Amino acid sequence: MDVFLKQCRTSQRQRMLIAFLMVAVVIVGLMGRLGYLMLYRADYYGQRAKDVHQRERAIKAARGIIYDRNGVEIAGNKPVSTISVIHNQITDPEEVIAQLSQKLGLPEEKVRERVEKVSSIERIKSNVDKELSDEIRDLNLDGVMVDEDYKRYYPYGSLASKVIGFTGADNQGIIGLEVAYDKYLQGQNGRILTMTTVTGAELDGKAEERLEPIQGNSLYTSLDVNIQTFAQQAAWKVMEAKNAKSVRVILINPQNGEIYAMVNVPEFDLNDPYTLPEGTGELSEKEANEALNQMWRNSCVSDTYEPGSTFKIVTATAALEAGVVRLEDQFSCPGYKIVEDRRIRCHKTTGHGAETFVQGIQNSCNPVFMEVGARLGVDGMFDYMKQLGIMEKTGIDVPGEASTIMHQKDNVGAVELATMSFGQSFQLSPMRLLATVSSVINGGKQIVPHFGVKIESSDKTAVKKLDYDTKSGVISEQTSETMRTLLESVVSEGSGKKAFVEGYQVGAKTGTSEKLPRSSNKYIASCIGFAPADDPVILAAVLIDEPEGIYYGGTIAAPVISELLDDALPYLGIERGETASPTPAP
Amino acid sequence: MAKREKFYYQYDFLLLFITIAIALFGVLMIYSTSSYTAYVKFDNPYRFVRQQLLGLVIGVAAMLLVSKIDYQVFIQGLGRLKINLIHILYWAAVIMQTIVLIPGIGIEANGARRWLKLGPVQFQPSEISKIAVIMFLAYAVYKSRRSLDSFLGFLRVAAYAGVLIVLVAAQNLSTAIIIAGITVGMCFVASKKKGYFLACGLALGGLSAAYIFLGAGFRASRITAWRDLENSGDAGMQILQGLYAIASGGIFGSGLGQSMQKLGYIPEAYNDMIFAVICEELGVVGAAMVMIAFLLLLWRIVLIACNAPDIFGSMLCIGVMIHIAVQVVLNIAVVTNTIPSTGVPLPFISYGGTASAIMMAEMGLVLGVSRQVKIK
Repeated sequence: MDVFLKQCRTSQRQRMLIAFLMVAVVIVGLMGRLGYLMLYRADYYGQRAKDVHQRERAIKAARGIIYDRNGVEIAGNKPVSTISVIHNQITDPEEVIAQLSQKLGLPEEKVRERVEKVSSIERIKSNVDKELSDEIRDLNLDGVMVDEDYKRYYPYGSLASKVIGFTGADNQGIIGLEVAYDKYLQGQNGRILTMTTVTGAELDGKAEERLEPIQGNSLYTSLDVNIQTFAQQAAWKVMEAKNAKSVRVILINPQNGEIYAMVNVPEFDLNDPYTLPEGTGELSEKEANEALNQMWRNSCVSDTYEPGSTFKIVTATAALEAGVVRLEDQFSCPGYKIVEDRRIRCHKTTGHGAETFVQGIQNSCNPVFMEVGARLGVDGMFDYMKQLGIMEKTGIDVPGEASTIMHQKDNVGAVELATMSFGQSFQLSPMRLLATVSSVINGGKQIVPHFGVKIESSDKTAVKKLDYDTKSGVISEQTSETMRTLLESVVSEGSGKKAFVEGYQVGAKTGTSEKLPRSSNKYIASCIGFAPADDPVILAAVLIDEPEGIYYGGTIAAPVISELLDDALPYLGIERGETASPTPAP
Repeated sequence: MAKREKFYYQYDFLLLFITIAIALFGVLMIYSTSSYTAYVKFDNPYRFVRQQLLGLVIGVAAMLLVSKIDYQVFIQGLGRLKINLIHILYWAAVIMQTIVLIPGIGIEANGARRWLKLGPVQFQPSEISKIAVIMFLAYAVYKSRRSLDSFLGFLRVAAYAGVLIVLVAAQNLSTAIIIAGITVGMCFVASKKKGYFLACGLALGGLSAAYIFLGAGFRASRITAWRDLENSGDAGMQILQGLYAIASGGIFGSGLGQSMQKLGYIPEAYNDMIFAVICEELGVVGAAMVMIAFLLLLWRIVLIACNAPDIFGSMLCIGVMIHIAVQVVLNIAVVTNTIPSTGVPLPFISYGGTASAIMMAEMGLVLGVSRQVKIK
């Protein structure tokens, strides 16, 4: 080489060298540029490149568990799998087609079509049971992918279906508690970041980044699976016996508003919520949707009804609290009362004759309450209804609560006031009435009926207790005590004696509401009862919708209350004491 | 001379080795960059690499064959005619460059009519034109080097090259720029007067800049794309994706075959953008090695030029050296977004079997010159 260089002496050779040096300088300059890009700008462009290359694949987080008050799982997750095929990883298509169509019970052509389709990934079937998907995974077929997933599962099927609710395809709550507590129950999805080609096909062997999913928080509810089960059975029994349209039962702790059970029979299967009851004829899509919504409807909360005589609890409380009536006040019932130009009948058309206020309640005498209502006046009636929360929603923690449908106060005349006094001409939801009755018998505390008790993180490290507003002094302790005694006497001596439970002091009020239109002769028989009468731990309501045959609340609903309390009280640890049997019916 | 001198002929095996090594490396990289696209589009990952390998084999054969030719043959008169092979090559280039412009004869691809088909071989006559210009200029310098010392003489020589440059520029601006670069470069080396080359170079640069800036929409958009790559949408997309590839390389790269960007992100990554994938897979180290290999190759050519027995051989080598240098520089400058985008393949490495083969034959000329280098 030196020999060569020595010869590069002429000016022409020098110019050759200059030309080469110029090229060398430019190339070295480009190396510098390259170094700047590859080392100094690497983070900037590298991150951008990564954003382009990586595909985010979500790992579904398991939804939070819903427990009853004793920690029994009432809504959980079942592991299921999604079976897919990756076309270019399949080595033995015939085997894959044969095995998958056989194991999954799919027609061979269908599987073949998907297996032979040139695509990055093709889903064969989702929601495959774990055992089956494990079997398929054990076959170790090339190009067959088993992705684990979760599916919401309700171990008790139809138990408290309309309360608990269910979830949709994206694991989001559709109705009930699943909706109300959705933000807690939803987990945080994890991520798998995979490198992909420009068309989105994933690459094997490239580093995967994985962010683990976090399961949703658990919800502990006040529901009690045992009480709910029993209540549901009792409701079924009476629904079938009376060939009723539906039966609703609510059992609540009147002291704090915790709901033990809420039944709406017929319930539906939470694990199969889109199937209408058997015997449903062919429906258009719209009709089917309506039927489904009707089936899912939590009637205890979302529907209103005329409370009938059970509302006399409210009228009596208002009158006592206002001091417009004393227990020993004398009334007279000729079987009707003339209000303005109207003759409003008592349910006992022959009349109750002379009676005290106490007897008026025991007899559920309409003229007595019309008189009491008139003493309260429109202002008094509305003030106390407001005080007792009748006009507001309870704030219960399930969606779709119905508002009370009440007269405009300005339009209330004597007739309206009279009918309101015994629970007619307006509507409220069963839950609303029960929340108010809770205040009446618990010493005047306003409670928010609820299911949610606490939220707990899935790893049990963090707990959030759910608080509900309570307001005391809605009515005086004195009035509350009087009311408890009065309602106890309704059972021991009056129209609610079928609500009697051996060994317990039970208070109750029955009611029979005529459904609108009046001419249809359809009724809702209802009864509200609680025990122990001196310090209630449980308050129950039963509503039998459109019973056939005898439709009086005192005759057909009160026995259900008796049955429910008879079961629930010992279960709740209230010892059976000595009580006198009620006096025989007069 | 008193001392008896013994001469050896020095066939430059090192240059042969470097050339084949770079070309083989190119084949490897084409396999790496094209197999995905080839598989997706043609269901055959080897489609491109097979073509390239075929071109390489033919190229090596052509290179060895050309290197066996005594290069003086080119300037010997043919019989009694006052023409030689260079005249023929030059006019053949002019004719081919003309007929390629005729619609129906010239084959159009991607909106430019640049290809001719001769039997089974499809090639760009501009590849031939480059060699024609190199040989013609070398011959011109050999005939009267002195004329290049005057501006008029330079213009006369440049006019011949100019005909080809204009014809090529009609359909292929990048190649025209390369030929212009070769012309100016070779005249620079040949001429003793430097002033007007500088002026000429500047004028050329200014002209092409004006052409680019004021030219058709797509050229203007390339300028906009160059200045603001990330917000220029489709126009800058290929270069931006190339930068992603380059920047992902780091020091040692992601490893041979591991490029992400070749997976369809850079369209036709095996073509002009192949250097970006080299950066991604082999890192700054690998990329620098490739550039050093080219420098070494150029250096060997310059050495042969310096020791060529006559000025014709010397200028032939310089022409080839400048040709390769211009393409390497332009290609890397485009890929690194140093200059506005223009389609210049990386010699021996970018996909293109015919182009590679022709370039190899060109290297054969240099080797042919080296064969006549005498060493004491």
